Amino acid sequence: MSWNRVAVVGAGLIKMGELFEQSYEQMAAGAFDAAVASVDKGFEPSQVEAAFVATQRGTLWGQEGIGGNTIPTAIGLTGIPCTRVENACPSGSDAFRVGAMAVASGVHDVVLVIGVEKMRDKSSEEGLLSRAAAGHPIFTRGETAPVLFAPFATRHMHEFGTTREMLASVAVKNHYNGARDPYAHFQNEVTVDDVLKSAPVCHPLHLLDCCPQTDGAAATLLVNAERAREFTDKPVYVAGFGVATDHPYLHEKDSFTEIKVTRLASQRAYAMAGVGPSDIDCAEVHDCFTITEILDIEDLGFFDKGDGGRASLEGETSLEGRIPVNTSGGLLAKGHPIGATGVAQITECWWQLRGEAGDRQVDIRNGYVLQHNAGGRGSGVSVVNILTNRA
Amino acid sequence: MAVRVLGVGAAAPELRLHAADVGAAWGRGGRGDVAVCAPDEDTLTLSWLAATRALRAAGVEASDVDVLFWGTSRPPFAEGPSFAFLAASLSLSASIGGSLSAGSAHSGIEAFVGAADAVRAGSARIALVVASDAVRPGPGTGFEARCGAGAAALVLATDEPEAAPATIGATIGARVTRTRPFLDRYRGDGEVDNRDLYDARLFREEIFLPVVNEVAEALAAFDVRAWSLPDPDGRLGAVVARKAGAAETPSATVYAAIGDAGAAAPLLGGIAAMDTAGLVAIVATGGGRTTGLLVDVAAPVPGAATTLQSISGGATASYAEALRARGQLLPVGETIPMGVPPESAMFVRGADEMLGLLGGRCVDCGTISTPPSIHPHCINCGGPKLEPVALSRGGRVHTFVVNQTMPAPFVAPLPIAVLDMDDGSRLMLQAIGDGTDIEIGTRVELVLRKYAHERGVPVYGFKARAKKDDES
Repeated sequence: MSWNRVAVVGAGLIKMGELFEQSYEQMAAGAFDAAVASVDKGFEPSQVEAAFVATQRGTLWGQEGIGGNTIPTAIGLTGIPCTRVENACPSGSDAFRVGAMAVASGVHDVVLVIGVEKMRDKSSEEGLLSRAAAGHPIFTRGETAPVLFAPFATRHMHEFGTTREMLASVAVKNHYNGARDPYAHFQNEVTVDDVLKSAPVCHPLHLLDCCPQTDGAAATLLVNAERAREFTDKPVYVAGFGVATDHPYLHEKDSFTEIKVTRLASQRAYAMAGVGPSDIDCAEVHDCFTITEILDIEDLGFFDKGDGGRASLEGETSLEGRIPVNTSGGLLAKGHPIGATGVAQITECWWQLRGEAGDRQVDIRNGYVLQHNAGGRGSGVSVVNILTNRA
Repeated sequence: MAVRVLGVGAAAPELRLHAADVGAAWGRGGRGDVAVCAPDEDTLTLSWLAATRALRAAGVEASDVDVLFWGTSRPPFAEGPSFAFLAASLSLSASIGGSLSAGSAHSGIEAFVGAADAVRAGSARIALVVASDAVRPGPGTGFEARCGAGAAALVLATDEPEAAPATIGATIGARVTRTRPFLDRYRGDGEVDNRDLYDARLFREEIFLPVVNEVAEALAAFDVRAWSLPDPDGRLGAVVARKAGAAETPSATVYAAIGDAGAAAPLLGGIAAMDTAGLVAIVATGGGRTTGLLVDVAAPVPGAATTLQSISGGATASYAEALRARGQLLPVGETIPMGVPPESAMFVRGADEMLGLLGGRCVDCGTISTPPSIHPHCINCGGPKLEPVALSRGGRVHTFVVNQTMPAPFVAPLPIAVLDMDDGSRLMLQAIGDGTDIEIGTRVELVLRKYAHERGVPVYGFKARAKKDDES
């Protein structure tokens, strides 16, 4: 029996992209407005009792001091309680989990969870690439973001015969889906050949194996499940969630063919929701790189270990496949505005469960959809949320 | 008390620059190659490599060395812990004695003489001598097409039976030295680049040849088999050799391989000759001083036979690459600063574990967590009792990447490898080269390299280097 103490009654996001013309605050306001407008029976902003904001890079990227007090003013609700949640790439999904716990605790009945990230106000050299000089002066020197995942690709290819074509098939599928998502950063389809011939970034990953740097924001409105019908006749419930941590440095990993935290977090979420991988109708997973999605679909239990590459190549994760993955286009096509990413994934899950995903709509047979992020130094943290439309 | 040579080692940097490429840039000719340090190499890393090889050849544990004598024209810190960094990176004892000689091409032989005197005087049983050089020649100077880089190391010991088996090879003999207040290659206070000062003919006829010939002639009174002679331009050494009647001059072979390795050159030529019995004459000049000494080789000295192999090879660098490697070609604008700057307390806490490559072994389960300062608990069982251990310097590639997208000051391609070390520990370190020589399972050894040069401070750590098939 699922947990189902909290309902999602509104969700929305802004068009992702290089939003040079928008401020952090303007992006937040846009996402909040979209979430408010999505509530079937109407929603007054003043009904928000508390907010949880996910922003991952605020202190590094020219938004110094972004704390809990920035968002209320940006959305016209100065004075409400607001707390910033920062937990690496899963910041958005963890803010969602924390918001759900705040509602479930009975302290608040109506909570806003909002993710906002400004990735492009600084150059790439000062942004993601600057990771190369961050951290431990020896053990992480040169460790740009792809270095965190490319070693898994090298090892997965070595142990299971995973090919670059299999990796590329993930990018092809997600760009196909993104081209059908009006909110996606990239709206174009790509071919396997495009991926294989794109510029080398971090062997064995090439440019189209990597997600872009994207500005964006997304918001969800969470209410006590007993009050869900005040807002909608099609509520979506939080069925379960799980979080796990692992060592922060890559040299401490037990294995380079799995993201252990994903396996642990999903096991906890499945147990809480009372379901298993075969009950999931579709999933939004962390595909910062093509290899990451292949690892995800194995570690989440959708496919046997080592089988993720084949399954991707053979279309088992496409919109018509056995388990559609990243119907929104994923991080690869929709973009990865870090703090906003998890909340945007929740939004896609919400649409899928309500049958509102348009050209991307998949068949919802069991009524369970899974959302997942992994990240932090060396994939040190993962968050999995499971949503359901079954009361 | 006689002083014996137990073992020797040599090292040269990664890059080779064609003198003709330098000449072409300045409208001149040029012949031969010179050795140039890669961006992550300097006199410290070259010294570490030569000393490691010498200790291995001698069969001497680092902890048994009593004194370190290091001679280099250019210590990595103009003022700072150059000696202490070399000692720590070699895992020498914290009570190590000895000294650092610097400031001229004569400094290498000063270290040799100092170490021999310390052993002869009975104040040390085992001495480690290192001579290294890697000057930065001024662009456009004639010096640029001649100056190379390299390092030589010798392990010396008393002839007491417990210090050196009687069958081991060479003893240090007669010595002659002259001092005259003349300049040779020059770098003024506050200057970074070396240059010639005198007219070439003035230097040759009035400074170099008179004093070097005088010292060589004094040694020529003995039955010298092989000569290591100073050779600042690849020609003057031959002039001295003719006058002294020298038939075999390994210094000329060294010059042909790496150019004028300055403070290291006389000892490189000297140790190259120690693989054959007979008297070896070593002559060094620089900074107004000229010294010659004899080594009596009774039997081949361990490590001597591989001297030339150790300094041969190298990857060809364009002139632009050489300038960039030497820090003479710089990107405009600010580069990405280190997240942890060298003045951070982290470098105080982590000094020994980074330079000495330490891990913490769990008393309960045996797992090694690296580095100890960030692991109060075991990464495997969570146990709180960890004992410091020196990590293996050999291992295999478990997985790797080649980073091809790097902001300055990084230069792509940059391979980074996760390593299964022989002691069961895991490390992730940068690998040397462009990544084409590593794959999963490749055997690697760890070598000291410079990871960064930040706010004027060099930052050192170990990197992985693929071992070639013929290396054990």
